[in-house]
Amino acid sequence: MAGNVQNTRRKFMRESTVMKIHYVTGLAALLTVAVHVMMRVITPFSMSLEYENVVANYQNILYSLLLESILILVSIHGFNGLRVMLLELRQDARWEKFVMLFTLTAMLVVIGYGTRTIIIVSG
Amino acid sequence: MEAFKDKQDSNKWSNREGLKGWLNPTRYGWERLSYWLMRLTGLFLLLYFVGHVYETSNLVGGLDAWNAMLELTQTTYGHIFLILVIGTSTFHSINGIRLIFAETARGLGKPGRPDYPYEAGSLNNIQRSGIWVALILAAAAMLYGSSVLFGGE
Repeated sequence: MAGNVQNTRRKFMRESTVMKIHYVTGLAALLTVAVHVMMRVITPFSMSLEYENVVANYQNILYSLLLESILILVSIHGFNGLRVMLLELRQDARWEKFVMLFTLTAMLVVIGYGTRTIIIVSG
Repeated sequence: MEAFKDKQDSNKWSNREGLKGWLNPTRYGWERLSYWLMRLTGLFLLLYFVGHVYETSNLVGGLDAWNAMLELTQTTYGHIFLILVIGTSTFHSINGIRLIFAETARGLGKPGRPDYPYEAGSLNNIQRSGIWVALILAAAAMLYGSSVLFGGE
């Protein structure tokens, strides 16, 4: 029992807090993605994907911030969802540590790569 | 503590079906179908998201790189894939909201004495209707997506 308590204390964040973050990022992603999709739908679909139109969108500071928000929110929500699924399949300390490191690294790589695109195109 | 750890290690793989159990469709009710679809759509959307981040990075390469990437996606198969994205994201969103309600104990029904035939109060029509609404809205969104993508506008 004492060992279990110690293990719980060693964790970076309580699982209930992680799940609250999961739900909040999910809801926030839903709202921001809805705005992102609306931006594509308000102009004819074929026109909305033209290079000049897309670059002009990126050069709007508010839209860039929206894209960055989507990138961060969906990455956190998506990779935490993947972590939960992988932990449902198997449970032991080594696997949990591996899954945590893998999903965290993948999340940071995707956020870094997407941010690079936003900075270069909006600059 | 050591004995507890040894027992834990020896039981690591016992009584667990793993991925096989997860994919076994023979014991599916509406709730299990929803559980399965939530994970499947989540995985699909995560893969799409990573692909979309990579796809849009072609903007950095200029007009030619962007148009070359668009040629790959603006095909019949590309459109069918996008329609699947629309359907899965709609289901995942609506079912996700249902799960938030379930997690906060809204619409779960009152706890009662477990009498035969042991129907769980939590698996009631309010919760089930959430699953049906998610499925119906996903189908409607896919129809709308089809009309936009194949409508030739």
